[in-house]
Amino acid sequence: MLYQARNLRREYDGRVVLNIPELHLEEGRVYGLLGPNGSGKSTLLSLLSFLERPSGGNLWYRNRLVRFDEPSLLPLRREVVLVDQHPILFSSSVAANVGFGLKMRGMGSRERNRVVEECLELVGMRDFFKARGYRLSGGETQRVAIARALACSPRVLLFDEPTASVDVESRIAIEAIIKRIHQERGMSVIVCTHDRLQAARLAREILFLFAGRPSEFAHENIFSVQVREENGANRAWIGDTVAVDLPGPARSGDKISINPKSIAVEPDTGGESGPARLHGHIAQLSKEGDRVRLVVEVGVPLTALLRKKQLLEQGLTVGDPVLVRCPEHGIEVLG
Amino acid sequence: MSFFVDSFFSALSLMRSLDPELMTVVGVSLKVSCLSTLAASLVGVPLGLGIGFSEFPGKRGVITLLNTLLALPTVVIGLFVYSFISRRAVFGSLDLLYTQNAIVIGQFFLILPIVATFTLSAISRLDDRYRRTAMTLGATRLQTGLVVLREARFAIMAAVVAAFGRVISEIGISMMLGGNARGFTRTMTTAMALEYDKGEFVLAVALGLVLMSISLLVNVALNLIQGRGGK
Repeated sequence: MLYQARNLRREYDGRVVLNIPELHLEEGRVYGLLGPNGSGKSTLLSLLSFLERPSGGNLWYRNRLVRFDEPSLLPLRREVVLVDQHPILFSSSVAANVGFGLKMRGMGSRERNRVVEECLELVGMRDFFKARGYRLSGGETQRVAIARALACSPRVLLFDEPTASVDVESRIAIEAIIKRIHQERGMSVIVCTHDRLQAARLAREILFLFAGRPSEFAHENIFSVQVREENGANRAWIGDTVAVDLPGPARSGDKISINPKSIAVEPDTGGESGPARLHGHIAQLSKEGDRVRLVVEVGVPLTALLRKKQLLEQGLTVGDPVLVRCPEHGIEVLG
Repeated sequence: MSFFVDSFFSALSLMRSLDPELMTVVGVSLKVSCLSTLAASLVGVPLGLGIGFSEFPGKRGVITLLNTLLALPTVVIGLFVYSFISRRAVFGSLDLLYTQNAIVIGQFFLILPIVATFTLSAISRLDDRYRRTAMTLGATRLQTGLVVLREARFAIMAAVVAAFGRVISEIGISMMLGGNARGFTRTMTTAMALEYDKGEFVLAVALGLVLMSISLLVNVALNLIQGRGGK
């Protein structure tokens, strides 16, 4: 087992930002860590890279309990490298940046240069060997940061939103590099992202985080609601036009999440709108494994996940008017 | 006004002729100021780094104390050091009073808070990603500290220059602990004060010009270094 955590907790100024009752990550795999902003992804990566100490709970790394004291952490940090969301390069050359970790490990300059060249080659940045770090673009900086991490030959590579601030071309290149690192070097990789499609492209196993806690599924369709009691039902209004019935009590201002898999979409044959029936049209379609992701505009954009077969049977395509049903069991009150 | 212009030109000729008395005074000033700046930097920079990097009870109190010490008058430091090195004091047997070493000690205490607080401020303002990046790449605490120091070097250099500027222009400590002994502990500022008392303005103006020139040169050098680093 690469990582195992029990009741792992991190607090900032008394506010719990991460609370993981149980976590198991196997060695040699690629994991996607998915969740919205503020879900605790970066905090978890900081703990897994031993850069921060947990406020409570236990973490095991390769079946050994991690003691978060400085002498114990150094050898662990030399096995796990975190590549930041917005990496920063030291004010030196690209080569010096990439060779930094090796220098810290006492490697001689000749051997170091060889490894640096090899790693820069891998990320397609060999021509930048002598360039100064500050001259690079965001995508190039990200690639050098990956080469810098790679040069340390870590057992585990952690990526915090590696393509959050780069263009499409760089995103494609970075994703290819991450896949190649895993395939060629067999490193364990954990990629944190809020892009479901990216997680699906890179990882075979995906962990969901929401509000600092592991979740069974990725919370989507998150809305703040105004709650009114109408006809004996607890009805939540999203804006002024969209209403859904809630499974339990809630207060105005609470957030709800509607599970995309629970949403039913069918061709619109007319009839009244209401909490159980929302009229709209398909704004976007995209493939996601054996399912199709639909964004339906019903006054607010609602994301639904349908089986490809079902969509083909119904003959639905972009722009078609549809009737959307959000059953109570697919709605969770997040508070 | 004409008296100032006359003094100014006389001072220039004094400087051109490398007047021995002028050179001695400038030499003593530079020597004690450089030594005290060096000593304060050797202690103050690690002190600032240590405070910045570590978490301990009373950290805020220490920072507040250092900030308060920034405004400490030179005469208070003069009195404080005097109470330790005067003939009958604890370190009286070392015969430090009225020596250049005494001035260095006093000036050390004057600028130690400047170097420490400016260093602390420099590393506090430095992007924390430098520290985290160094750590995740396997740097030890010491290596991480050196990385931070390197990335904050220009701000720290500015702290050292500011400290040097403070000691080269101070008078209280040099007068109280050095005694203004001619050719021995007479610095530019104490000599200027003396010449003023005597009504002899030529040497005072010449020293003033040297003082400003040194200050200008140091700042130009710092700007050049910072400019090169910024490219």
